[in-house]
Amino acid sequence: MKLLKDIYLKRDTNKWSIFTLAIVVCIAIPILTIFFKLFSGPGETWSHLVKHVLADYILNSIWLVIGCSILTLFFGVSSAWIVSRYEIPYRKFLEWMLILPLAIPSYITAYAYAGIFDYGGSLEILMKTIGISSFKLDVMNIFGLILILSLSLFPYIYVSARAIFLYQSGRLIEASKLLGATERGTFFKIVLPVARPAIVGGLILVLMEVLNDYGAAKYFGVSTFTTGIFRSWFSLGEPSTAVYLSAILLFVVFILIYLERLQRGAKSYYNSYKSNNILKKKTVTTKRQLLLLCIVSIPIVFGFIIPLSQLIYWSFLTYKDVISSSFFIIALQSLGISFLTAFFTVFTALMILYFPKWNRLKALKKVSRITILGYAIPGAVIAVGVMIPSLTLDKWFIKIVKDLWNIKIGLLINGTILVLLYAYVIRFLAVAYNPIEANQLKIGKSLSESSKLLGKGNIRTFFNIELPLLKSGVIGAFILVFVDVMKELPLTLILKPYHINTLAVKAYEYASDELIMESALPSLCIIATGIVPIIILNRLILNEK
Amino acid sequence: MSNILKIKQLSKSFNNGKDLVINDINLSVKKGDTIAIVGESGSGKTTLTRLISGLETPDSGTISINNTEVASEHSFIPPEKRNVGLVFQDYALFPHLTVFKNIAYGLSKSENKKTRVSEMLTLVNLTGYENRYPHQLSGGQQQRVALARALAPKPKLLLLDEPFSNLDVMLRVQLRNEIFDIIKKTGVTAIFVTHDTQDAIAIADKIIILQEGKKIQKGSIKKLYKKPKDYYVASLFSTISQLSEEDLACFGYNTKEENKKYAIRVNQFKINIPSDFNLSIKINKTVFMGDHFMHTTTLPNNTVLNFTSEDKLIDQVTIGFDTDTILSFTKKDY
Repeated sequence: MKLLKDIYLKRDTNKWSIFTLAIVVCIAIPILTIFFKLFSGPGETWSHLVKHVLADYILNSIWLVIGCSILTLFFGVSSAWIVSRYEIPYRKFLEWMLILPLAIPSYITAYAYAGIFDYGGSLEILMKTIGISSFKLDVMNIFGLILILSLSLFPYIYVSARAIFLYQSGRLIEASKLLGATERGTFFKIVLPVARPAIVGGLILVLMEVLNDYGAAKYFGVSTFTTGIFRSWFSLGEPSTAVYLSAILLFVVFILIYLERLQRGAKSYYNSYKSNNILKKKTVTTKRQLLLLCIVSIPIVFGFIIPLSQLIYWSFLTYKDVISSSFFIIALQSLGISFLTAFFTVFTALMILYFPKWNRLKALKKVSRITILGYAIPGAVIAVGVMIPSLTLDKWFIKIVKDLWNIKIGLLINGTILVLLYAYVIRFLAVAYNPIEANQLKIGKSLSESSKLLGKGNIRTFFNIELPLLKSGVIGAFILVFVDVMKELPLTLILKPYHINTLAVKAYEYASDELIMESALPSLCIIATGIVPIIILNRLILNEK
Repeated sequence: MSNILKIKQLSKSFNNGKDLVINDINLSVKKGDTIAIVGESGSGKTTLTRLISGLETPDSGTISINNTEVASEHSFIPPEKRNVGLVFQDYALFPHLTVFKNIAYGLSKSENKKTRVSEMLTLVNLTGYENRYPHQLSGGQQQRVALARALAPKPKLLLLDEPFSNLDVMLRVQLRNEIFDIIKKTGVTAIFVTHDTQDAIAIADKIIILQEGKKIQKGSIKKLYKKPKDYYVASLFSTISQLSEEDLACFGYNTKEENKKYAIRVNQFKINIPSDFNLSIKINKTVFMGDHFMHTTTLPNNTVLNFTSEDKLIDQVTIGFDTDTILSFTKKDY
């Protein structure tokens, strides 16, 4: 058998096998770096960290995971069920309004709420106008953080739950009702268990984002693994301690991924969409309609309208100070970096999708899928994993140039935009990969097989047949990555070149310098670009309908 | 005539060898032949066409097309270099290209595309449809464009994967006659896979029967009908009544061959006319099947037997059979 496998290896290896392997290795470098660095031992502060703050990191992260799970599940599932099942006023408008909180990065929502509840903030002013002078509510703690992250991230669950409710519950509810079950019984015994894999899928995305968050946690003074990584690297100057924290965080993330795969297991009903099975809306009394309207409005008002209004108000107050030529340069740099990243990420996603297909080695086809794990890995961890090898490479270059020509040079790779782009591509590969893959699955493989049987090779088949048909997926992927890069904070903070800035970093810098009102305008620019893909996402759902 | 396709000891499995889909198949096809591969779903017939066309790699064995080895354990020629045409079950027409561009797709730059596409459209009776898109065509028209596209580059071998499965019954009969004519006109060597024996009978010169990845029998329709290798092959062509030695003895036919099982096609029983062996029976039940009647009776040894007649039969009749209509199989093939 071994002999046979060796024969296949020779027969089935082609240039695409080598390219596939090269990309897989490039993308696996940050994870491999963290893994191998573990063996060189922790830094000097590790024992101090374990003794005094690690418990805090763990406890806070656990609280965040539990709290955000409960709240996002409540907001996401309840709103998805109401807009899918009941005929309520402004339902169509609410359907896409419920996705909008995703357009505001969680750290920006955090800034807005900090300002609202701050001493002399909007709430206090409002209370004074209605005659309450001593109202004070502190949100800058872990509970405030849980609430803000949940309000900002629940749409992940809403989107996946709504798709399942719409397309899979119709016949099942009819069958359940005919068997004598009540509406409530049907929801808990049939609808919810059927939707569970999709809802948990959405929840995992929420938790990845929670663990990835740096801006909101930092601003609220809550110590988490991500803030710990920053602290170890930049304040304590100990990369090896940052690596150890990254490894723990990675371990948690992989457990989450494993649990998600496990619960999805053999539940093939997750994907069995049937267009003739769309859930019919139920008409209820006006009183009930108002109640449902209130429930759906809560996350929209608190997750989108209030923070957005606060930001608009602040922008109005500060635009004269903020708008300057340097602001436009930062905006242009942000757009430029996002554009370049989106281009390279989509290009890499296409390579990851096609090279393994064109290669004939079965083992490589499976291995290539690990490259899309990047989205699960927190930005700070990727940054650590990218920075260490780039510094090592730089040290080699410096040494080689010194040994050969006795010339002293500075860092060639580290601190350049190349490193930042490389890290972004790893981080957002899955964002580009998923919509393109979904489109590709819809097209099926017989078209490309036809083309090959008609004498066209892989590249020509790709450009003549596949790319024109994948157009919408490719454009969608490009926009999604573009917007994610506009919002990205932790990875950008660590890896951005000294002379380059982004709107997200600028907003963070203003907030860190206690100039929270000034952070509103760059934040609004980010939100404006974030709304575009949400409209596209909603269109996609409507088209599928 | 020389062999255009030669397959030796071909095997293919999926799921790391757990699912053996093609099991040690040997096959040769002569130039100009039209072959049908018949089998139930899961019998490996589609995998076999995918292996021949290069869309799958074999685990072991060799495939040679026109005396060139295209796949073995050591070598593999990709599909684009095999000059094999394939008409897919779902036609796989490129949705963003017109009929003209679909048919011209496989032609090389040196060829006069306009002339060749026009020839192909005339062949499949679709002149004037050049500028239409696939979604503007009916199922039958799409099927014919798919055939024209596959034939345009003059393939050495044409494969058709369940070409009629997406069509309704009326169109199916009409189209298979048209395709038969087109294949014969072009003289191309064709292999088509189907689960429907009637399709195979209508088009093919020879039929290959596949079951669970193994080639059970190959031969002309007449040979397979008259001398089926096993009960499965026999049952592909008509309904069959299984008979034991005791059942045959009821008709006066005595046999002492060991390890044998017997069957007679339900339409080959003779009713109320002289035959080699016969028996007077009482009809239990008669069902009108449209163009014939299906009867059920009980033999003296209590075996229930089915047989058909063109006319309605009532109560007591004499049924019988001639010796040459008895199909006998070894017990393991039954």
